[in-house]
Amino acid sequence: MTSTLAAVAARYRRPMTLGNAVLDIHPTAMVAGITALIVVGLVSAGWVAPLVVSVLFVVIAFLAGRGRSYLGTILKLWLAVGLILFVLRALLVKGQTVLVPLGPIAITREGIQDGLRFSIAVMAICGGVTLFFAIVSMRRLMLALERIGVSPRVSYVILASFQAITDLGATARVVLDAQKARGIEAEGNVFVRARAFFPVLAPVFLTAMSATEERAIALDARAFNNPGRHTSLLDLKTWTGVDTALVAVAAAMVAAAVAGGVLGWF
Amino acid sequence: MVLAALKGVGFTYAYAEHPALVDVDLQLEEGLLHGIVGLNSSGKTTLCSLIRGVIPHFHQGDLTGEVTILGRPLLEWDAAELSRTIGCVFDNPFTQISGIRDSVFEEIAIGLENLGVPRTDMIDRVERVVEQLGIEAIVEKNPNELSGGQRQKVAFASIVAMDAPVVVIDEPTSQLDPEASEAVFEIIDGLKAQGKSIVLAEHKIDLLAQYADTVTVMHAGTVVMSGPTRDVVGSDEFGSYGVVAPEVTELGRRLAAAGRPLDRLPITRGEAFDEISARMRSTHAH
Amino acid sequence: MASSRFATFMRGYGRLTIFMIPIGIAINFVGGQIALLLKLPIYLDSIGTILVGATCGGLPGALVGLVSNAINSITSPPTFAFAVLNVAFGLLAGYFGRIGVFRVWWKTLLSSLAFAFIGGFCGALITIWVFGGLAVGGGAIVVGALTAMGMDLNTANFVAQMPMDVLDKVPTVLIVYAIIKGIPRRLLVKLPLGWVYLGQPNPRAKKSVAATAAS
Repeated sequence: MTSTLAAVAARYRRPMTLGNAVLDIHPTAMVAGITALIVVGLVSAGWVAPLVVSVLFVVIAFLAGRGRSYLGTILKLWLAVGLILFVLRALLVKGQTVLVPLGPIAITREGIQDGLRFSIAVMAICGGVTLFFAIVSMRRLMLALERIGVSPRVSYVILASFQAITDLGATARVVLDAQKARGIEAEGNVFVRARAFFPVLAPVFLTAMSATEERAIALDARAFNNPGRHTSLLDLKTWTGVDTALVAVAAAMVAAAVAGGVLGWF
Repeated sequence: MVLAALKGVGFTYAYAEHPALVDVDLQLEEGLLHGIVGLNSSGKTTLCSLIRGVIPHFHQGDLTGEVTILGRPLLEWDAAELSRTIGCVFDNPFTQISGIRDSVFEEIAIGLENLGVPRTDMIDRVERVVEQLGIEAIVEKNPNELSGGQRQKVAFASIVAMDAPVVVIDEPTSQLDPEASEAVFEIIDGLKAQGKSIVLAEHKIDLLAQYADTVTVMHAGTVVMSGPTRDVVGSDEFGSYGVVAPEVTELGRRLAAAGRPLDRLPITRGEAFDEISARMRSTHAH
Repeated sequence: MASSRFATFMRGYGRLTIFMIPIGIAINFVGGQIALLLKLPIYLDSIGTILVGATCGGLPGALVGLVSNAINSITSPPTFAFAVLNVAFGLLAGYFGRIGVFRVWWKTLLSSLAFAFIGGFCGALITIWVFGGLAVGGGAIVVGALTAMGMDLNTANFVAQMPMDVLDKVPTVLIVYAIIKGIPRRLLVKLPLGWVYLGQPNPRAKKSVAATAAS
C-alpha cells in the first residue's frame, strides 16, 4: 500500500533513520570503527587476528541486517582473491621446511605461513572495506561529505557515475543483443568476437557523450551552477552519543594495538 | 512589462556555416502563453535557447542585434540569476532526470537544494507541486524507472517547484504519446493560470491553438508572423510556411470552399463544436 | 559564499567536463564488462580514462582513472594499489591529446606503447613492491606458472605484464581514436581540447579579447 503524499512528506521532515542501530551509525564513526578493527587485526603477526576480525565483520553485517548479501560477497572474494594469494605464496615462497616437493618448486611450511598471513591480512582489509560499503550507502556517504564541506559537484560526479554505469551497461547490452540478432557472431574464436565488439561500442559511447550536453543544460536549469550555499532535503542523522562512544573505543583500540605492537605484547 | 524584446537579432552557432537566426524582430509580453511554431530547422529551438540565456552562456557563437529580457540586456544577466528567473523544460525526458536521487520527491527538491531553500520550506513546496501536477502516485518511485511521460512530468515538477516567473518550454511532447501530451498541456495551462509568462515551442498545433495567447511563426531563421493566436492561426498565410493549421481550421476552410462557410473560422475544438452545433440547429429549424 | 576548491578547479574546464567525467567512468566499466562478456583476453577498462584525457585534459582524465579505480577497489581492495597507473593514463592522454596524437591513426597506434609501458612495466613494479610479486587475477596465475617453471619472480612479472598490456592498449587507443572521429562538431566546440580536433589554434594562446560572453 502506497503512503499518502502527506505521509511521504512527513517522513522527509523527520531526521533520516534506517530502522537499525548499526545502519544509523554516522558514516564518519563507521569509518573510525572499521579502521580500528583492521588495524587491530593487522598489527599482530600471524593469521589468527585478521581471521577473527574478518569473522567479526560478518557478525556486524548480520547485526545490520545485511548479513546474507555481505556473506555472499565476502565468500566470493575469499575464493577469487584470498585463495589465489594463498596458493601462489604457499607454492612459490622459498622456505626451509619442505612439506611437499613438486619438481622445481616445493610447498614449504614457511610458504604456508606466509601465504596464510598475507592472504588473510588482505582479506581482512577487503572485509572491512566491503562492510563499510554494505552498511553505508553511497548517498549517505556523499551527504556526510557534503556536511563537512565537500562540494556538491563531487557528490554529483560519484553518484552520477554509478547511475551512468548502470544506464550505459543496459544500453550496451541491448545493442549487443541486437547485433547478435543481426547475425554478428559473439561466439567463435577471438577475432570473431573482437569484431562483434567494436561496432557496438563507438555508437553507444557517442550517444552517451552527446546526451551530456542536454544533461548539462537541464541541471543548469536546476541551479546546479549556483555558487551560493546548498541545502539538503535529506537530514542525515546528527552525531549521537553512540557515535562518540564508537570513535572513543576505536581510538582506544588502535592506541592499545599500536602500543602492544611496539612493546612486543604479541 | 515586456518579457522579451529582440531587435535585428542574428545568431550563428560556433560550429555552423549558416546562421540559425536571421534578423529577428520580436516582442513578447509578460503573463501570457506564447506559442512558437515552425519547421524543424526554422530556428524555434535557437530562439528558445536565446530567451532562456542558454545562448550565449552555453552555446557559443556569433550574436548580433539587441536582446532584452525583462527589461535588461541578455548579456547582463548572469547564469545564476537566469536559473532563478527563467525555468526551462525541453523535449528529452531522459536527460532531464538527474540520475542521482532515489525518489521522485528528492528529484524535485534538487533545484530547491541548489537555491539554498531551507528544508521545511523545501518540503512544503515539493508537496504543493506534487499535488498541483497530480503525480502523487509516483512520488516515491525511483526516477530512473519511470516511463518517458512520467519523467517529463517530473521534469516539469522540478522546474515548477523553483517557482520562476518565466518558463521556456521547448517541444515538451515530441517524445510522448497523445495522452501524455494532453497531460503536459494541462500542466502548462495550470502554469498560465498562476500568472507565469510562458514561451512554448511546439509542433502540436491543435493543442497549441487551444491554450496559447499569441503565436509566432518562424521560417528559415526569421519571424514571419507574430500576433494573437486567432489572427495568426486563422489567417490564410499560416499554411504557407510549412506549418499545418489545426484540424478544425482545415475543416472550416473546406466548408467555406464548398460554399457553406461557418460564421467564424474555428481554431479550437471547442469553437468548432459551437459553430457546427449552431449550424446544425439553424439547419434543423428550417 | 566561497565555492569549494573542486568547484573552482572544474570551472576552468568549461561547463561540459564535469558531466563527461561520469560518462568516462561508465565507459571504463562497460568496456570491461563487454570484454568479459565476449571472453576477450584483455581488460579494455581504460577507454574512458584515455578518451576523457584526450578530449578534456589530463586532470579530468586522471580523475576518471582515479574514481574508476576507487569504485573497483570497493569490491576488490588490492586494486587500489594500482590507482597511480590509472591516473598516469589520464595525464598522459591529456598530454598526447593536446599535441594532436589522436588526430592521426598511426600516432595513436604508437601511443599505445607508451600506455602499455605504464600499465605493464610500472604495473609489474607495483606488484613486486606491494605484493611481493604475487598479486591477484589472471596475470598472477601466469606469473605463478612462469615462476614454477624456474623463472625468477621479478622477471616473470615483467614478462607476463608487458605483452598483456600491449595487447590491451592497442585496441583501447584505436577505439578512442574512432570515438573522437565521431564526435559531432557542436560537441567538440564545448570540450576543453576540442580545438585540437577541429584543427583550430589553441584559444588560450591568443591574447585577443573574447568575442562571446564569459560565464
